[in-house]
Amino acid sequence: MVRYLAKRIFYLILTLFIVTTVTFFLMKIMPGTPLTNEAKLSPSERNMVLQQYGLNKPVWQQYISYIVNAVHGNFGTSFQFSDQQVSYLISSRVGPSLLLGLQAIIVGVLAGIVVGSLGAIKKGTWVDTTTTIVSILGISIPSFVLSILLQYFVALKWGWLPIAGWSGFAYTILPTLALAAMPFAESARFVRTEMVDVLSADYIELARAKGLSKFGIIYHHALRNSLIPLVTIVGPLAVNIMTGSLVVENIFAIPGIGEQFVNSVVTNDYPTIMGLTIMYCFMLCVVLLITDIIYGLIDPRIRITGKRG
Amino acid sequence: MKIKSAIMAGAVSVSSLCLLSACGNKQQSSSKLVQWQQPTNLTTLDASKATDNVSFGTLNNSNEGLLMAAKNNTVKPGVAKSYQVSPDGKTYTFNLRHSKWSNGKPVTANNFVYAWQRTVNPKTASQYSYLFDHIKNASQIGENKASLSSLGVKADGNYKLIVSLTKPQSYFKYLVAMAPFYPQSKETVNKYGQSYGTNSDDMLYNGPFKVTGWTGTNDSWKLIKNNNYWNAKNIKFNGVKFNVQKDSNTDLNQYSTGALDLTNLVGKQQVGEFKHSKELHNVDMAAPFYIEMNQKNNSVFKNINIRKAISLAIDRDQFTKSTLGDGSKPAQGYVSPGMPKHNGKTFIQDAGTKTGVSYNLNDAKKLWNKGLKEIGKSSVNISLLADDTDNGKSTTEFLQTSLEKLPGLNVSSQNVPSKSKLTRAQSGDFDMVINSWVADFPDPISFLSLFTSNGTYNNGKWSNAKYDSLINKAEGTDANNSNKRWNDLVNAEKTLMSEQGIIPIYYQVRPIAIKPRISGVQFFPTGSPYDLRNIRINNNQH
Repeated sequence: MVRYLAKRIFYLILTLFIVTTVTFFLMKIMPGTPLTNEAKLSPSERNMVLQQYGLNKPVWQQYISYIVNAVHGNFGTSFQFSDQQVSYLISSRVGPSLLLGLQAIIVGVLAGIVVGSLGAIKKGTWVDTTTTIVSILGISIPSFVLSILLQYFVALKWGWLPIAGWSGFAYTILPTLALAAMPFAESARFVRTEMVDVLSADYIELARAKGLSKFGIIYHHALRNSLIPLVTIVGPLAVNIMTGSLVVENIFAIPGIGEQFVNSVVTNDYPTIMGLTIMYCFMLCVVLLITDIIYGLIDPRIRITGKRG
Repeated sequence: MKIKSAIMAGAVSVSSLCLLSACGNKQQSSSKLVQWQQPTNLTTLDASKATDNVSFGTLNNSNEGLLMAAKNNTVKPGVAKSYQVSPDGKTYTFNLRHSKWSNGKPVTANNFVYAWQRTVNPKTASQYSYLFDHIKNASQIGENKASLSSLGVKADGNYKLIVSLTKPQSYFKYLVAMAPFYPQSKETVNKYGQSYGTNSDDMLYNGPFKVTGWTGTNDSWKLIKNNNYWNAKNIKFNGVKFNVQKDSNTDLNQYSTGALDLTNLVGKQQVGEFKHSKELHNVDMAAPFYIEMNQKNNSVFKNINIRKAISLAIDRDQFTKSTLGDGSKPAQGYVSPGMPKHNGKTFIQDAGTKTGVSYNLNDAKKLWNKGLKEIGKSSVNISLLADDTDNGKSTTEFLQTSLEKLPGLNVSSQNVPSKSKLTRAQSGDFDMVINSWVADFPDPISFLSLFTSNGTYNNGKWSNAKYDSLINKAEGTDANNSNKRWNDLVNAEKTLMSEQGIIPIYYQVRPIAIKPRISGVQFFPTGSPYDLRNIRINNNQH
């Protein structure tokens, strides 16, 4: 286990390094400078500002100094927000995004489990058909369309919840629902398929034969075994939500990290793009690592390493 | 067990949801601050480093310069209660009033000297230091060829400021109303160091409002009345809360429920909804959009008949009304309306030549055929470069359809991100490009200086000796003679239009919806975007 972890952490660092390098050089290929008032500066004035930011040095020098600083946890200062540390920019905006993502995963997956199980238990009936339709809708309706619909009806027409903003729990509900649609639908479909399989397994027949109650069979035997594969998709779903919350954050005016990312790309804010890329990459790697570990723990049939258990 | 606790958690959250949403709604309706939407974040409060409209708008109301921008392109006294200009137009003497910073300390002439030196200091890397170019030694300091203390601005005691210019600059009064010219306290800048102006606490204010609640990266902040402001008794409301919201539908929804008092309107549909409403305010911007033709790369554009034919084929009325539909106005020339008048006449009244901006497809075709003959070609392929915004795309689509009515002309359009467009335009990598220019201050020279032969932003490299000499005279020998200078500028505009050096298309307008209970917001076409000092709130009006 320790060897496995060490190996995975080594790969994590390698991945971060490669992603950082590729992003760095891709950005250098992008046309334009990070100057916001570029249109009005004379060439000599522009050089003066670029010199101040160290952007007039050769690219390889910029790259080395960036990597050295990044290793020390210094991601530089933003070009767009003058004198603002990138690490502060990210840390102060990551909270709302994480909170929304977490809420959406919990709500979505729990609802998905309930609906998916219902569909499997009532297989072939109208309940099954309805839950299937709902989950297909959940997958096919993009989150921004759902956001606009929720905002228009729930907030504007019926006035139950605030339209947009970020000052309390009530403000998180609509964006959470919009983001939860995807994990809900994915996990509902997944759980249904798994449970249909499990319900026809021999040990379920045995449990029935023993005279266990229907609820007891579903809860103690069928559900637990159906949930194991769900763990594999929760990780990628969580990452999906974090990166996909961008449009939802815009629509509900959430002071999160998603919209900051696009903004920094549009304004050529190199240090912020780099910082955010590294953060996203790190989160993805960590989530996948945790998923693998948990998977190995809850299902002994899965071996983490090839040779020994 | 797990499922049970999940159901419990669900029940708790639903009930708390109802409670909280009730609270949320109450807070909104009882708030006394004006609620204002902003399209982008506040990026800095450091007047030497600000570059964007949101920062300039906030600074213009939290701080104050020697003079203030006022209605109809005039200036009014700010920290300076009066000023004198020497007969040669090169020395300005400002007499400062006794006013205070938000910490109670006096605002002195030395605060201005320090701030201006800080902005032109190359170490500050200000992107607006070029505004100081006419001040003695400013350019030399920027190139590290002179010491900071040699800058042509001196304090004579605490309340007199003397500025020396290298040559007369009739529009200097507009410049000192802009943020880079605001006073700064050396003590405060040194105290906060790198964090100066990066959040609302690490900053000092001498304007009508103080900024509060800005952490440097968050999406909302407030302007709260500053009781130390010299004219605080005439500020008749508590302040403004700004909310950054980038989705225009969300903004409109919030505006319609009253959660916002002011919001920017985007596009034909939103503006259309307010067409007959007195809540719609169309703010004129000093921002013409025009086509530049690359005469260096594409010899076709050296032919004046070709250039004129292209201009004549564009129906600007139809474009602004039917395609854009957001209040934008058809161009009447290059210099936009809303510049100060001279002897009671606007610049457009004096310089208006219908030739460069009118629509006549028949004449266009005649000139086009004539031009083709002159260059010995039967067909021409041209690419049209623009940015990838909605307006950029509408413009290229419209122009493509209009211009292909000229026989033998094939237009291919390219819409790229605006940073890429800028780079390509400046490096001459285009046939035709749609550019815009936003004037910094309300004087025609802010536009016309662009298209001299060696102008940095003359991307098409149109060159005309008469035009060059007129601009030189306006900035040189005639700079201190307002009649001659005006005529120089008028003739320069006429030359640019009759030679069709560029093809103006439309003037940008900023449509804003404001609730009827709010009055007195003053918008400006150039420089600082708005002044909130005279806002009045009448709650009986709905």
